[in-house]
Amino acid sequence: MDIRRFFGAAPGAGKTKPAQKTSSSAKEKAGVKKSSQTKRKAAVIYDSDSDGEEVPPVKQQKTAEAKSAKPNKTEVKTPPSRKKSDPKPVLKPTSAADFFGAASPTHRVSRTTAVAKKKTGFDAGKVVDSETNKEFHDDEAFMETLAELDKKKAAATSVSPDKKKQENGSQKAKPTKTKEDATSPKKTRDKSPPLRGSPKKTSPQKSKYFDKTSDDLKMKKKIKLESQDGDETKAHQPNAKKTSPEKAKSEKTPSPKKSPTKDTDQDVEKKPSKGGYRAYLTREGPRALGTKEIPQGEENCLGGLTFVLTGILESMERHEAKELVERYGGKVTGSVSRKTSYVVVGRDAGESKLNKVSQLGVKTLDEDGLLELVRTSPGKPYDLPPEATSKGKKSPPKKSPNKPEPAATSRKPAASSSHVGSPKKPAVSLDPTAGSPEPSLLWVDKYKPQTTKAIIGQQGDRSNVKKLLNWLRTWPKHHSGRQMKEDGSGFRAALLSGPPGVGKTTAATLCCQELGFTYIELNASDTRSKRSLQEEVSEALTTRSIVGFQKQGTKHAGTMRQAVIMDEVDGMAGNEDRGGIAELINLIKHSKVPIICMCNDRAHQKMRSLVNYCFDLRFQRPRVEQIRAAMMSMAFKEGLKIPPPALNQIIEATNHDVRQVIHQLYMWSVQDKGLTFDQAKEASKQAHKDIKQGPFEVTRKVFSSGEETARMTIMDKSDLFFHDYSMVPLFVQENYPHAQPHAARGDVKKHLSLLSQTADSICDGDLVDRLIRSQQSWGLLPTQAIYASVLPGEYMRGHLSGMINFPGWLGQFSKQNRLKRLLQELHMHMHLRTSCTKKSLQEDYLDPLRRRILNLLVKKETEGVPEAVELLSAYDLMREDYDGLLELTEFKGRPNMADKVNSKVKSAFTRAYNKEAHMQPYSTSVAPKKKRGGAAATSVDMEEGGEGGDVEESDEEKEDPKLDPMIKVKKPSAAKGKSESGKGKGRGKGRGKKSA
Amino acid sequence: MSLWVDKYRPTSLSKLSYHTEQAAQLKRLVQNGDFPHLLVFGPSGAGKKTRITCLLRELYGAGVEKLRIEHHNFTTPSKKKIEITTIASNYHIEVCPSDAGVQDRVVVQELIKMVAQAQQLDSSTQREFKVVLLTEVDRLTKDAQHALRRTMEKYVTTCRLILCCESTSKVIPAIRSRCLGVRVPAPSHEQINSILQTVCKKEGLTLPPELASRIADKSSRNLRRAILMLEACKVQQYPFRPDQQVVEADWEVFLRETANAIVSQQSPRRLLEVRGRLYELLTHCIPPDVIIRGLLAELIDSCDGQLKAEVTQWAAYYEHRLQLGNKSIYHLEAFVAKFMSIYKKFLDEGMAAMML
Repeated sequence: MDIRRFFGAAPGAGKTKPAQKTSSSAKEKAGVKKSSQTKRKAAVIYDSDSDGEEVPPVKQQKTAEAKSAKPNKTEVKTPPSRKKSDPKPVLKPTSAADFFGAASPTHRVSRTTAVAKKKTGFDAGKVVDSETNKEFHDDEAFMETLAELDKKKAAATSVSPDKKKQENGSQKAKPTKTKEDATSPKKTRDKSPPLRGSPKKTSPQKSKYFDKTSDDLKMKKKIKLESQDGDETKAHQPNAKKTSPEKAKSEKTPSPKKSPTKDTDQDVEKKPSKGGYRAYLTREGPRALGTKEIPQGEENCLGGLTFVLTGILESMERHEAKELVERYGGKVTGSVSRKTSYVVVGRDAGESKLNKVSQLGVKTLDEDGLLELVRTSPGKPYDLPPEATSKGKKSPPKKSPNKPEPAATSRKPAASSSHVGSPKKPAVSLDPTAGSPEPSLLWVDKYKPQTTKAIIGQQGDRSNVKKLLNWLRTWPKHHSGRQMKEDGSGFRAALLSGPPGVGKTTAATLCCQELGFTYIELNASDTRSKRSLQEEVSEALTTRSIVGFQKQGTKHAGTMRQAVIMDEVDGMAGNEDRGGIAELINLIKHSKVPIICMCNDRAHQKMRSLVNYCFDLRFQRPRVEQIRAAMMSMAFKEGLKIPPPALNQIIEATNHDVRQVIHQLYMWSVQDKGLTFDQAKEASKQAHKDIKQGPFEVTRKVFSSGEETARMTIMDKSDLFFHDYSMVPLFVQENYPHAQPHAARGDVKKHLSLLSQTADSICDGDLVDRLIRSQQSWGLLPTQAIYASVLPGEYMRGHLSGMINFPGWLGQFSKQNRLKRLLQELHMHMHLRTSCTKKSLQEDYLDPLRRRILNLLVKKETEGVPEAVELLSAYDLMREDYDGLLELTEFKGRPNMADKVNSKVKSAFTRAYNKEAHMQPYSTSVAPKKKRGGAAATSVDMEEGGEGGDVEESDEEKEDPKLDPMIKVKKPSAAKGKSESGKGKGRGKGRGKKSA
Repeated sequence: MSLWVDKYRPTSLSKLSYHTEQAAQLKRLVQNGDFPHLLVFGPSGAGKKTRITCLLRELYGAGVEKLRIEHHNFTTPSKKKIEITTIASNYHIEVCPSDAGVQDRVVVQELIKMVAQAQQLDSSTQREFKVVLLTEVDRLTKDAQHALRRTMEKYVTTCRLILCCESTSKVIPAIRSRCLGVRVPAPSHEQINSILQTVCKKEGLTLPPELASRIADKSSRNLRRAILMLEACKVQQYPFRPDQQVVEADWEVFLRETANAIVSQQSPRRLLEVRGRLYELLTHCIPPDVIIRGLLAELIDSCDGQLKAEVTQWAAYYEHRLQLGNKSIYHLEAFVAKFMSIYKKFLDEGMAAMML
């Protein structure tokens, strides 16, 4: 609906004279008089109407078309352009206050400011529109009438209704007078500048806008005025409605910082090219983080600029600032040099940098300046996907013409042109041609390197591929005579190892192809057991392929050579490939052809034997730049537009896995040809390869401070725990005393209290762990993560002194279990004679018993032996129990009484015990543990009785852990005899000490 | 020949040297020919087990002293094999179900039921019931205790249970109410003194009363420990001297050294050393609560009045959490760290006060 209808003014009345204007104002007064409360209603009605108004503009345009064909065309063209670019920024700010200010009671506050705005706007209008004198005059007159109105109303009514009237007046005036029509939007336009945060910038902008609007006006003159009016007003109202709440808000808050946000919000709505402000910052953080909205600048608007950040920026973290610059094509470097375009200076900026800045005369910016720069610098005006060009993509830094411009704008915000004619537009045509090739092939295959030179990261002379080529080339020479040579070329096989996606297989196949080898490739999909290897490979190696004959005449003819490529040798495991590795080694030993093996982890247990027979070539992950270059050219061929920083993100996220990067790009190309920084960032998050980290690495990360951990969220930190939720808590517990917390700052007291807090937190983690394990409530794992890993990390964040230890708890736990078993056995044996529990047996009984026995053996020596034996048998103890007894009662660092026993006495003691038959109330054959002891007692004593007696006690201790694995290993192989003899040896040595 | 503590253990109720009233009561109880389930509790070294064996002897005569060790194998529902050792005579069986760890419920269900279900063959010469003696009942899991309560009622005609434990707090009320509680208090210092003297007299030794009282002191009213200490003293030096040092077990000395290490220096490095020592104690099967108690006793000596209370409170706090948790070393270490932290602060404040 047209507003004019409310005021009963006929659209046709537009061309009347100022006299009529006054009449209209009179009318308006009457309207006001009717009642101020109806006005309120009127305002509300506008509101509701505006929604409906979206459609009519088209209609009106159509009617305009009907009237005149020529102007119509121009009209049709111009309005959208205007909508998109100029009139919108101009229009938005105005209306909200005017139309709806009255509706909200908050406006009472803002009333004066609104007036002020009007005035400034008015002034600006004067300056700008001086060329159209008539308008200017009208404008002034209009303002005067308005002022009069104001005065009159102010007396009668409260402030807010006043305003309403005023607005209504302005509204009314429009339909009656064409000139006023023109001016009213202008007025609204005028108001916009003061809203902007920085006045310096606004004035030039204004001027520009006004130029345009004046152009518009000229246009309007050509067209029917009424239709134009309708358009304008329509454009007006929806705007007003949308912006009004924001305005109200912004006006409430006195801070000027907020105003730009509002401004840009409006931008978003109207101008696709400028985009909108977006709340971008994370809200966390202590300082003034996130208070300033980061503007959405134009694509690549900082292209070619180099920034140096120094000091603390108030509203964003450094990495955010860096990201911001990089997103718009700028570069951030660490130190100031001549090439630096800007130095962004924050609070507490570095002295040396500032000095250098003054020396070199580099321009400095503050934080706002940076944002301003982003906001105002011209980029490519329209960020449409087809515009994406390989050139633009490839050479954003080359875009030199931009360089001086942003500089100018930042210094003197008077940069007049916000839109730079982009030279890249013609490039649009390139895209479709590149994107067309057959889609059936994956990019990974399509862009597979065709020569060894093309392998990413392997161009160098000392690269692995070169080495492999040389090795292959010289292979026949070295191995024609059967002797093995000592140098690297002497190997009959090569082992390429490295992470997936770096091009091992590609390198191998390409090398073979280039040197004219035909190759047999066996990978994990083939059965590679001993037999099949023998059959297939050896068969293949002894026969010649027909290809060789066909190729006769070519340069490789006759000299057709063969190679075997064993891919994924670390996958040779399990029942299927039983004996595969061994057979492979066997093949290698006698091979007449080169064998190339490949694996991911050459340190793996399974590879251990193979490694010795192979020429070791380790593939490292290519660097980011290496991958990026290749990816860029590929993206160009595919017509995919991706900014380099975005590509960096993806590469890093995939952990430098070339294959995966290509897959990612491929996936993106299917969706969209253009990839912005934000999208890429999002994509890289998705593509982020979950890398499993070992507990050592995790522990280091838990406690270390610095760049990488500073950015981690609490979720990232607790994810560390989940790399291995059973081991990480142990590692953390083992290593937290090694950490030097930075929070303590060398204060021992603080350090200790942090230690205590950490220990408490670890205890909490233990309690949770108990709950989890006992009740299977695995849902509590995240809780445990916080207690057992995140909190300790927070308390002790600093650096780890010394290396990270493997948790001692595991060893101690198994030792504890072993001693527990010993104690239980002792308890069982002694049980008939004693009446105590295990606990009091250890606490009370064993020590006096040991003292008694040792006292006999030490003091009376051999005479004491019978008595000691008697004591043992009185408690139904066996000779082995005596050893267990000693072990249970001896503590590190305490005088070891057992050492004082003469070794002669010891052997006499053993002999004396074995001489007698002891009736034991328990069966000695039931428990395997006892069997062990029994076997040792009977068999070994004789042969080893005389062996060196000075074997230390610690020796025995060292052997014990070894014994355990032995038992474990040998049990399944059912070699009981072996394990017994092994045990016998262990025992024997222990005994030897006593006997010799 | 065995240690004195076993050599001079009384074998009948009438020979018991203290709590004689209680002994007489038990005797009367048995003479009636029948008795309810018993729950015998009291501190370690007070003579619970001695009293029970005396009771059994009173009940069945000398036949009860012919003991045999039996091994029983069970399979849990989860196909895990557990082995348990029992000591049995013709008339009774002694089991420590908690040896089976968390699987003790199976032991209670299978073994005790099996024994309880079997009737005595010749009830004319014997009692009508057998006795099942369960030791360390306070270490039974809740599951096992619940399994026990029904068994106790169902087979009451054929078997009596004697439960033996240190504290009833970990025995569920359902079981406590089904049993006649018999509390065996620790002997007093004088009683220990007199017993030590008797032992020495029987051995033909003279024991200075000062040494006897010091041993009684050190033993913390644990008669077993007292007699064993006496013997250790004798091994160390005889004839006794009144000022002779009472021999302590190695682990106690070790624990005290650990406490001294904590007091003498407070630093992360020291914390690591202490951790090593705590591990040593734990692996030697010294229960963590004993460790924390021992540490506290030593640490408190070097604390001021108010600090004493604070340290004690923390010790109790960590001791409690230790029971709730899995890995006792964590909690012990946390206690040590806490002590180091507050002690260091205390020392520094003391220094500052001195400077002022």
